[in-house]
Amino acid sequence: MLQTTVALSIVAVILIMVNAKLSGRHMEGLKAGLKQALLSIPLIIVAFILAGMLEVLIPREFVQSWLSREAGLKGIVLGTFGGMLLAVGPYASFPIIASIWASGAGLGTVVAILTGWALLGLDKAPFETAFFGTKFYVYKWGVSALFCLGAGFIAHVLELALLSW
Amino acid sequence: MKRSLLIVSVVAAVFVIVAFLVGGRALVLEGFNISINSATQSALMLFASFIVIGQIQVLLTKEMLDRWFKRSSGIKGIVVSAVAGGLFPGGPYIYFPFVASFAEKGLPFYVLIAFLLGKNTYDFARFPMEASLIAPNIAIIRNLITLPVPIIIGLLAKRYFGNKTIENVLGQAGETDATNDRSP
Repeated sequence: MLQTTVALSIVAVILIMVNAKLSGRHMEGLKAGLKQALLSIPLIIVAFILAGMLEVLIPREFVQSWLSREAGLKGIVLGTFGGMLLAVGPYASFPIIASIWASGAGLGTVVAILTGWALLGLDKAPFETAFFGTKFYVYKWGVSALFCLGAGFIAHVLELALLSW
Repeated sequence: MKRSLLIVSVVAAVFVIVAFLVGGRALVLEGFNISINSATQSALMLFASFIVIGQIQVLLTKEMLDRWFKRSSGIKGIVVSAVAGGLFPGGPYIYFPFVASFAEKGLPFYVLIAFLLGKNTYDFARFPMEASLIAPNIAIIRNLITLPVPIIIGLLAKRYFGNKTIENVLGQAGETDATNDRSP
């Protein structure tokens, strides 16, 4: 946790310096970040509350049989479609995904949820159908679903390989 | 954002009630304790993440990405579009009209699909949040595994549809009518 904070802080300082040198709009960037933070804080707080409740409510047996490493393909399929149904932005969905990981879900399941959320998320469906039509949405969904399952499977194999190494 | 807040608030309220019904006040307090711990542990990271997000938003202008887009074609075009998608700031209400404007200009389908999937898969401004709110190792593994996805789909689209526009690919008059200056 500390390492990530330090790394992100270094990146933030570098970006401020680059922005100041290239465009002189670093203060505008800080204001944009602050504005985004103020807009997102209520959502993040509620998402943390939801994540905490999920962590105490998700039964261990469910995680063990459906989402854990031992669940294998079941967890990957469930993760892909679970991610698709998690039709809210990153500030809301990431704490929820973190609570699923903390409950003991396998790496394949978590990667499948994240990829399903990113590629298949139902929140994007109205835009995809409105701008490019239903046919586009169905094709994109079909191809993307295969990649989500593939990503989950690769992560699952990677986890097994790392454990046996 | 307001819609997401409303959805998540309703779901959170339902789960608090369920927790109360299942385990009473003790379980609800246990859930809140986990929430407070996670929030306090992530606070500094979130602060740094928002600075990164704000700087990226200002650094990468729409005009800059516009220029990259126009200059590239073929495999280079796919890679540039996917990366440009990942760098493009904002939510679907911003990037869909942007992509639709390029569809109108007759850009090949493979370029557009690589951009859209690049945005969905990479979204570099999202990475700090992914690392701080979930876990850095999971964020790195997920990004490495899905790194080739927009490029593979772009290559498949190029292989099957060549330089056809989205209108030619979908082959249905009216399917892409919505691209004409329609905002959500």
